[in-house]
Amino acid sequence: MADRKKRRKDPARGLLSVVMLFYFLAFLMLFIKDGDFRSILLALCVPALTFAGVMGIPRLFPADKLLLSLTNFLCALGVLVLYRLNPERGLTQAANYFVGVVCMLVCTLLVRYWKNWKVLTFLMVPASFALLLLPLIIGTEKNGAKNWIMLGGMSMQPSEVVKLAVLCVTAYLLSKRRTVLTVMFVGICLAILMLQKDLGTALLYYFVTLLLVYVSTGSLPLIGVGLLGGAGAAVMGYNMFAHVRRRVSIWLDPWADVDNAGYQIVQALIAMVNGGTWGVGLGLGNASVIPEYYNDFIFSVILHEFGVVFGVIVLGIYVMIAIRGVMIAMRARTAFEALLAIGCAAMIALQTFVIVGGNIKLIPLTGVTLPFISYGGTSMVASLCVIGLLQGVQSRIQAGVSEDKWLAGQEEGVR
Amino acid sequence: MKAIRRHIKRIAGVLLCLFALLVAYGAYSLTTHGNRWFASNVNTYVRQQKQHVEAGSVYDRNGYLLASTGGNGRLYAEDVRVRNAMVHVLGDEKNNVSNGVESFMSVHLYGFRASFRDRAKAYFAGERLRGDDVVLTVDADLSAYISSVFPEGEAGAVVVMNYKTGEVLGELSFPQFDPMQVTQSTKDDPQKPFFNRAVQGLYAPGSTYKIVTAASALNNLTSAQTRSFQCTGLYQIGEHFITDAGTVLAENKVTSHGQLNLKRAFQVSCNNSFAQIALEIGDENLKLTSEAMGFNDNFLFRDLVVENSSYPLKNRTTKEIAWTGAGQSELLVTPMHMCMITSAVANGGVMMEPMLLKSVAAPDGEVRASYAPRAYETVMTAETSAVLKDYMRSVVTGGTGTRADIPGIAVCGKTGSAEKDGQEDTDAWFVGFLDRQDTPYALSIVVENAGGGGSVAAPVARQIFEYMLSGR
Repeated sequence: MADRKKRRKDPARGLLSVVMLFYFLAFLMLFIKDGDFRSILLALCVPALTFAGVMGIPRLFPADKLLLSLTNFLCALGVLVLYRLNPERGLTQAANYFVGVVCMLVCTLLVRYWKNWKVLTFLMVPASFALLLLPLIIGTEKNGAKNWIMLGGMSMQPSEVVKLAVLCVTAYLLSKRRTVLTVMFVGICLAILMLQKDLGTALLYYFVTLLLVYVSTGSLPLIGVGLLGGAGAAVMGYNMFAHVRRRVSIWLDPWADVDNAGYQIVQALIAMVNGGTWGVGLGLGNASVIPEYYNDFIFSVILHEFGVVFGVIVLGIYVMIAIRGVMIAMRARTAFEALLAIGCAAMIALQTFVIVGGNIKLIPLTGVTLPFISYGGTSMVASLCVIGLLQGVQSRIQAGVSEDKWLAGQEEGVR
Repeated sequence: MKAIRRHIKRIAGVLLCLFALLVAYGAYSLTTHGNRWFASNVNTYVRQQKQHVEAGSVYDRNGYLLASTGGNGRLYAEDVRVRNAMVHVLGDEKNNVSNGVESFMSVHLYGFRASFRDRAKAYFAGERLRGDDVVLTVDADLSAYISSVFPEGEAGAVVVMNYKTGEVLGELSFPQFDPMQVTQSTKDDPQKPFFNRAVQGLYAPGSTYKIVTAASALNNLTSAQTRSFQCTGLYQIGEHFITDAGTVLAENKVTSHGQLNLKRAFQVSCNNSFAQIALEIGDENLKLTSEAMGFNDNFLFRDLVVENSSYPLKNRTTKEIAWTGAGQSELLVTPMHMCMITSAVANGGVMMEPMLLKSVAAPDGEVRASYAPRAYETVMTAETSAVLKDYMRSVVTGGTGTRADIPGIAVCGKTGSAEKDGQEDTDAWFVGFLDRQDTPYALSIVVENAGGGGSVAAPVARQIFEYMLSGR
């Protein structure tokens, strides 16, 4: 009886059934439209695996069901949209997802059981620098930024991986009140990112660090100085790099050069308008006219085919992930846990803001990915790892609470 | 830890605000710019959907069929004169004219608003979906008449609107072309017939801008109406001279208007006085008045795409400010906007949003939507507009615009002869309106490189007004 009551209360369960039905119907529709047997396979597999993931993983590992179902929904949405536009990409993305889940669990366990973060920090700092420098030496240039490397036939983006190190290192250093060291570490990372011309990621590192410094010190003057420094760097970047100026001018008026420079963003805006409130319908759009539709502009594709209302729901899911992260941070028992959790939440939220804002022309477009949805292994793995870190903090808190209870019980027993 | 929790709460607030900003900005840009983006000629989705839809018909305000879908593509009005006169309003199938009704209203014409029932019906009947019919505010006969009286062979534009409602009755650009017979020579024509001068052409307003300067003077100068100005025929600013009243420097000929008040200066269009007035009002105040009337605005009208007019912001020397008062300097305005300003004077200071779409009807005749007039802005007080109306009446009764006069009818107007660099002659302007309750029509005319507004444009205005008064 008590068990049943508990089940009914579980918010993840209701969400999960909706999600499963959604994907079953979506892939079924694609099957009806194109008759590809892989579609019907996915119509069965995606809901089944979603169920298995959300229900199974928490039994074996310390994981948060709500976070799992939210991220699962987004990841599956990515697979769906990519599959609809290009089946091979969709299937690759599904594979990326599995790698991501494994990495997520590793991160969860690391945070849960690792004790000596000092050593880890000393290892992570030089590793981060090395990883970030790699693309400058053996990297390939893509869309004006030199932030990719090829590893054994696979391409990867080190800045995505270093993101995790940044979260851990800043959380650790700030929890030890080593603000100057933190700023130096992130500053060097930012400088290398500037050299790679990977401005979107630099922007993310910068804002997340700024937020974390605020959380740990609460000093508004310090944030003011940080913001001024950022503004100075932005002006410098604007004057130094032609491609930054180009991006800004495209942002100000993409219609000035509709056929070349402004083409991407104009097509993204048009795709959004064509979608309207309820979308043109899954499989009925032509969003593949947007260059990079599978990566930078995947949110525009979603707006196009599913409509603005659904787009707002997707944003709502990111908000829910962020709120969950904030809740975990609020319950944290140590400064390190709190900083790590809020850092993770802010990273996901800000990254979403930066790319969605770029898609709808609120801010200049920068080449960051939409977490969980954009095509790409590194991005998928990194985003899921951030969730992994969050879940690690969550389970540490839970373990601490039960330890307290146990101790309290002991004391009672002694008495 | 307590402090950290407090800070975390604030951060959470910031993050939530960012997401709220995304949604708010998205909603804002969709509602303000959505129809423009949709109608853009780079919208491949619309192009793709058009193949599956039979486009609806376009009618003028009297039910005259302007465009319909025939066996092989679009058919435009049978009468070639109407076809040519309406070409810039409608646009054409090939999108040579940008933002014509054919493309800008594709959301209606190509059935993007069709109901689910209509779609299902078309699908099961195995037919192409038929788009909605569109009824415009324009008058096809009037437009054809205007084409016949516009100076032959000249380039320019005419806009006629109802100043009480903002309904556009005529929007013509010259030279015209036949949308059913577009040839290579049409495309190569140096006069650019595809260019819709009525809404895209940016002209120096010349003396027609004195309406704005006078409005600014009435607002900013004390006893503006009673004091007097001195015209010498040559107004010196540094090394530069502002010439006037037939003064020709090269011939050493200097004539002047002498002593005059604001009304007289307006009536005879005295550059000297208006240069002095502009300097006295100051650049900032003149700019404010202009911006209140729509200069430097981002026009986002529902039915029309109108190029933005500009009041110059850079390089504001005394000489430039003085010339601005007389409508030169770097001022740029479309004939449509000039007609809107004139309409505002006629309409007691309220500028109506120009309106082109009267109603939309489903294929079965059921009216889907009919549109009501919308005020754009109140751009001046009723008192100012009454004074300006009086000034504009005096221009026609005994000033530069006497050739627009119709006996027994209160025609008000203002002429302009705008100089343009690299052009032999001036652009001839006339803006005006009928100050009558039952014929509330305003118009603006510009004839490029044709001479004085009073001699070239004013007679055209008279003919158009007479035609409209004949109550045909």
